[in-house]
Amino acid sequence: MENMANTVARIPNLVDWSTGEIRLMSAKCNSCGTYFFPREHYQHRPGCSREGVEDVLLPSKGKLASYTIQHYPCPPPFKTEKKITPYGIGLVEFEEEKIQVAGIITDTDLEALELGMEMETTTLAMYSNEEKQQVVTWAFKAAK
Amino acid sequence: MRDVYIIGTGIHPWMGFSEQVFADFAAVAVEGALKDAAIEWQKIQSIMAGIFIYGGNAGHLSGQYLESIFGETGIPVVNVYNACATGSAAIRMAFNSVVAGETDTALAFGADVSPKGFLTAKSDNAVQDRDVIRWKMGGMPNPIYWALECTKRMAKYDTTEEDLALVKVLMSEYGSKNPEARFKKAYSLEEVLNSVYVCEPLRLFEICPVSTGAAALIMTADEELISKADNPVKINATTMGSAIYGDPTIRISALSCPSVAEAPMLSESYSASRQAYEKSGIGPEDIDVLELPDNSSWHYLVYLETCGFCGEGEADKMLRDGETRIDGRLAVNPSGGFSSHGEALSAQAIWQVIECANQLRGRCGERQVDGAKVAMAQTYGLMGNSGTTILTV
Ligand SMILES: [Zn+2]
Repeated sequence: MENMANTVARIPNLVDWSTGEIRLMSAKCNSCGTYFFPREHYQHRPGCSREGVEDVLLPSKGKLASYTIQHYPCPPPFKTEKKITPYGIGLVEFEEEKIQVAGIITDTDLEALELGMEMETTTLAMYSNEEKQQVVTWAFKAAK
Repeated sequence: MRDVYIIGTGIHPWMGFSEQVFADFAAVAVEGALKDAAIEWQKIQSIMAGIFIYGGNAGHLSGQYLESIFGETGIPVVNVYNACATGSAAIRMAFNSVVAGETDTALAFGADVSPKGFLTAKSDNAVQDRDVIRWKMGGMPNPIYWALECTKRMAKYDTTEEDLALVKVLMSEYGSKNPEARFKKAYSLEEVLNSVYVCEPLRLFEICPVSTGAAALIMTADEELISKADNPVKINATTMGSAIYGDPTIRISALSCPSVAEAPMLSESYSASRQAYEKSGIGPEDIDVLELPDNSSWHYLVYLETCGFCGEGEADKMLRDGETRIDGRLAVNPSGGFSSHGEALSAQAIWQVIECANQLRGRCGERQVDGAKVAMAQTYGLMGNSGTTILTV
C-alpha cells in the first residue's frame, strides 16, 4: 500500500486503510446475517430483531460480478483533477458476506476486464483539498 | 366494490427544457381531461397530485397550485412522490377514494419541467441520503446501474447488442407514428449500432433522456358521467409495489446489492404486477397492449420477464420473433415508449395509463392495436417502488 498519511476520503466511513490494507467499511447484522454498504444502508430481513449490528471491514479482495465502461464524465458534484473517462465501474462480489459493492475501476486495463476475475479494493485520487490533502474515493483494481 | 371508469384524459406533449412553470403545463393537461370528459371543473371531488420535486414550495404542493388556477372548491387535495412511479401513486389514491365511495369523481395529474443540465444529488447529507455518496464518490449516473444489470444479463442469457438495438428500432418506428412523441425519427438497426456507447453495452440511442410534460386523468363511479363519456375505460386494478428482501437488482442510488437472490429481480415491479393480476383476475395472457418503462433497452427485455409475459431469459426471443410488435401477440409500447418521449418524472406513469386508455378507445391512428380490449401500464421507480394499472373496455 502506498503512503496514505496525507490522504482523506471525500466522505468518511466508507473506506479504511488503518489496518495496512485498503478495505470497505461495512456493517453486519448479527441477527439476520445481512451485510450493509454503506454501513447505514440497513436492509434487514423482515422479522429481524435488528439487534447486534456491528461495524466490520469487508475483505480486500472479491470477484468481478459485473462491469461497465462509462464514456462520459460524471457530472458534479463528482470531481477529479485528472480526466478519468472512459472509466470502468465494477460490481465486486464478496462471496462469504453475500454482498456486491459498486465502485470505479482504476489501474486496470479495461479491455482485459472479465467477469469472475479477482479484484482488490484500492483508492482513486480525486483532487487535493485546501489543506493540501489528497482526497480519495474507494475503487477496485485487478488483483495482482 | 363499485366500478371505476376513466372518462377524460389530457396531456401536455413531451418536450425539452422550458422556461415556463410546471403549473402551466399541468393546466393544459387538466383542461384537456375536463374537455375529454365533457364535465365542469366543479364536478371534481378530489385531486391526487404528483409533486414536482424541483419546484420548491409550489412543486411540493402542486395540487393546491393547480386547484387555485381552476378555482378552489375546498375538496381534498393530496400531493405524493414515488419517484418515477409518482403518477401511479396519484392514480391509485384517486382510484381508492372513488372505489371506497369517499368521492365519486377524482382527478389525478402530474407535471414535470426537465431541469436544466444534469439531475444529481438533492441534499448534502451523505449519512441520511446515500444518493450523495454515489454522486460525490461513486461516479455513477443512472444508466450505469442499467448497464451493470445488462452486462449480467448478457452473460447469463443470449442477449446480444443487436437485441438491444432492435428495441430502439421498434420504439422509434412507433414514435415516428405518434404525433405527440418528442422524438419522431425512425432509426435503422445500423444507425442504432453506430451510435456511441454511453456506458457499455448501452448506447446513446438505447437510453432515454429527461423531458418536460404533463398528464391528467379523470376517473369516476358516477353512472351519469360514465354514460355520457366517449368510450369510458374501466380500471380493473391499480396497484403499487415495493421491493422484497433479497432482490439482487442494484437499485439506482444504492452502492451495493445482495449477491444471493432470494427474491425476483425488480421485485417492486414483480410485486405491483402480481397484485394487479390477483385483484383484477386478469393475467399476462389476457393482455393485448402493454406500456412498460423502457428507460433503456435492458428495461424493455427484463420487464417482459418481471411481469410474467415470458419466462426468465426468453424476452429476447419474443422480441426477435416479432411477438412484441403492434401486430404481434402482445403489442409492447405502441406509443414509442420512453425511448420516444423521455422521462417526465411525475407525469410519465399517468401518461402511460393514458396511452393504454387511448388504445382501448381506438384513438391511436397509425399506431393503433387492432381490437385492443385489455391494456396494462407498468412503471418503474427509484429505490424500490412501482405501479401497475390494468384497464379494459
Ligand atoms: Zn438484521
